[in-house]
Amino acid sequence: MKNIITIMSKEFTRFFTDKRMVLMTILPAVLIYVVYTFMGTMMARVVLPDEYATRVFAVNAPASITQVLQAADIRIENIGANETPEAKERLINKEADLLMIFPADFDALVEVYDLQTAAGPAPNIEMYFLSTEPNSATAYHQITAILDLYETSLVNKFDINRDNTNADLATAEDVAASIISMIMPMLLFIFLFSGCMGLALESITGEKERGTLATLLVSPLKRSELAIGKILSLAVLSFLSGLVTAIATILALPNLMGGGTDGMVDVNIYSITDYILLALIILTVLLVMVAMVSIVSAFAKTLKEAGQATMPLMIVVMLVGVSGMFGGGVPTEPFYYMIPLYGSVQSMSGIFSLEYSTVNIIVACISNLVFACIGGYILTKMFNSEKVMFSK
Amino acid sequence: MNVILKADGLTKTFSLSAKQQKLQNTKKKVITAADHVSFEAYNGEIFGLLGPNGAGKTTTLRMLATIIKADEGDAVVDGSSIKSEPDTVRSKIGFLTSELKLEDFFTPNYLFDFFSKIHHIDPVTSQERKRKLFEKFGIDKFAEVKVANLSTGMKQKTSLVVSIVHDPNIIIFDEPTNGLDVITAKVVTDFLLELKEQGKTIILSTHIFSLVEKLCDRAGIIIDGKMVACDTLANLTAEKPLEDIFFDLYSENAGGAE
Ligand SMILES: Nc1ncnc2c1ncn2[C@@H]1O[C@H](COP(=O)(O)OP(=O)(O)OP(=O)(O)O)[C@@H](O)[C@H]1O
Ligand SMILES: [Mg+2]
Repeated sequence: MKNIITIMSKEFTRFFTDKRMVLMTILPAVLIYVVYTFMGTMMARVVLPDEYATRVFAVNAPASITQVLQAADIRIENIGANETPEAKERLINKEADLLMIFPADFDALVEVYDLQTAAGPAPNIEMYFLSTEPNSATAYHQITAILDLYETSLVNKFDINRDNTNADLATAEDVAASIISMIMPMLLFIFLFSGCMGLALESITGEKERGTLATLLVSPLKRSELAIGKILSLAVLSFLSGLVTAIATILALPNLMGGGTDGMVDVNIYSITDYILLALIILTVLLVMVAMVSIVSAFAKTLKEAGQATMPLMIVVMLVGVSGMFGGGVPTEPFYYMIPLYGSVQSMSGIFSLEYSTVNIIVACISNLVFACIGGYILTKMFNSEKVMFSK
Repeated sequence: MNVILKADGLTKTFSLSAKQQKLQNTKKKVITAADHVSFEAYNGEIFGLLGPNGAGKTTTLRMLATIIKADEGDAVVDGSSIKSEPDTVRSKIGFLTSELKLEDFFTPNYLFDFFSKIHHIDPVTSQERKRKLFEKFGIDKFAEVKVANLSTGMKQKTSLVVSIVHDPNIIIFDEPTNGLDVITAKVVTDFLLELKEQGKTIILSTHIFSLVEKLCDRAGIIIDGKMVACDTLANLTAEKPLEDIFFDLYSENAGGAE
């Protein structure tokens, strides 16, 4: 027991006093936050360039369309047909975003135009914009979309939910939970795994390749103590790295979902029990992941080889992670929760979507512990095997 | 004098991969690195294993230190068998060989403390030991420098000191002066003699005759994995100098095994 603590304290010292290693753990989290926030901001800008008053000039704007655009908060400034060259000039000078030219009797033309016969060209709207100017381009796309919708409504045969704007009966809580439960288990799973992969490769194959593991193996240290010490410390470090990444993700998710404050994703919907169960699942599944990667790392002779050998594992983990996103809700039979990795992803999905049975979560935790012990046993055997540890 | 280490028929074969066969320019699938090596070391003496490159010295010592397992034979180290009680054997010996490296990231000071803890040495004893050993080898000057930034000699000295944090009774050193300058080499050989004064038993391997002549009470000559002679230095060199004896034995034995 004392030796296990000595080994763990060495692993922690190694990690925390090495700025490079700490940085390497924090960096992905920072990147995730930045990328998600950036993506969210970009998406929000495309969807609604809020607070920006689009400047639209129109010639012969019919009342019908002025009304439709007004409903979307777009105000039109009417100009005479002779003013179009001047309007184009202002468009180029970025003093306006869009110029629309309608036929003089647009509404009447639309009225008489018959889709069935399609005699002669349909009435045409000319639109001028500046594709290099984001506001102008956005206005163009937005107005085109609105006009398309309007066009469809002209040949309207039936409506869906015309008056009922609150047709979605899901509460904010449900929406948040379903989005998080879709994405988070997979993200978390992959973050946890990549965190522990980096650490275990360095700590096992790295030490083996550099011959420092051999120095430990000639000490009276028991191989089992070495295996347990390594697995536990790696699991704790991976947990920390996973935690940092998860926090970054949770903080960034609202930004990703568009405009931080609109309450799409509210993480306050989870109770303390949810968090405790989640932590238990994460900690125990990490033990399994660390044991798996450690075994592969111990087999590999060089870091490069270990990197290649862990790729299939990474793919399996990703697939299992993705499995949490599909399959219409989590399974309820405890049996599924005994399957390593899969059971844990389903547990996480269950916790995140607030549809879980505590029994199944506990089953998954126990199964993880059992598999971690088996992994620890195999690793011990490997530390004992001179073929694995000392063959060149 | 009583026997403290007894090797009995230690045999180790390695199977060669196709790549290794090519490298060593041989068609043999297996190579017998140690071929029934037997010898005894007495309490308080320095025993030397002398042999040319590739003779099997390191292999023999690695078996004694329990980091590789013997295919055949056994050895008893201070009453413990390397086969059945490897953990106990490891706690009784100090082993130094070039394949054992210290982690680049740590300082000699940290590593000494770490291995002292692994050996369950109480802090007071270990601090005292560290002070003395660091002073003797001049490690105190670079005790806080990371191993990565040490010279080969400094690393070697640190490895040596770290291998004996637990003040073992039996010390197994594989080519302890390899890569050291004459001054540092002398510090090491003087230290080995000092350990002997303290009553420790030392097994060392080397291909340097003068080292054997200077240090060893008894020596075994290994050629092609076989122990071809093993006696006191006085008996071995009764008629001819050690070098001549070695060449005679080499021409007698080396041809047959190839
Ligand atoms: N892991 C291994 N796999 C294959 N062959 C090996 C292995 N270890 C040692 N050998 C072979 O065993 C033989 C003895 O090697 P050993 O290292 O014991 O020699 P040595 O006496 O220590 O030589 P040196 O003076 O060069 O250190 C050599 O032919 C070597 O190639
Ligand atoms: Mg050697």
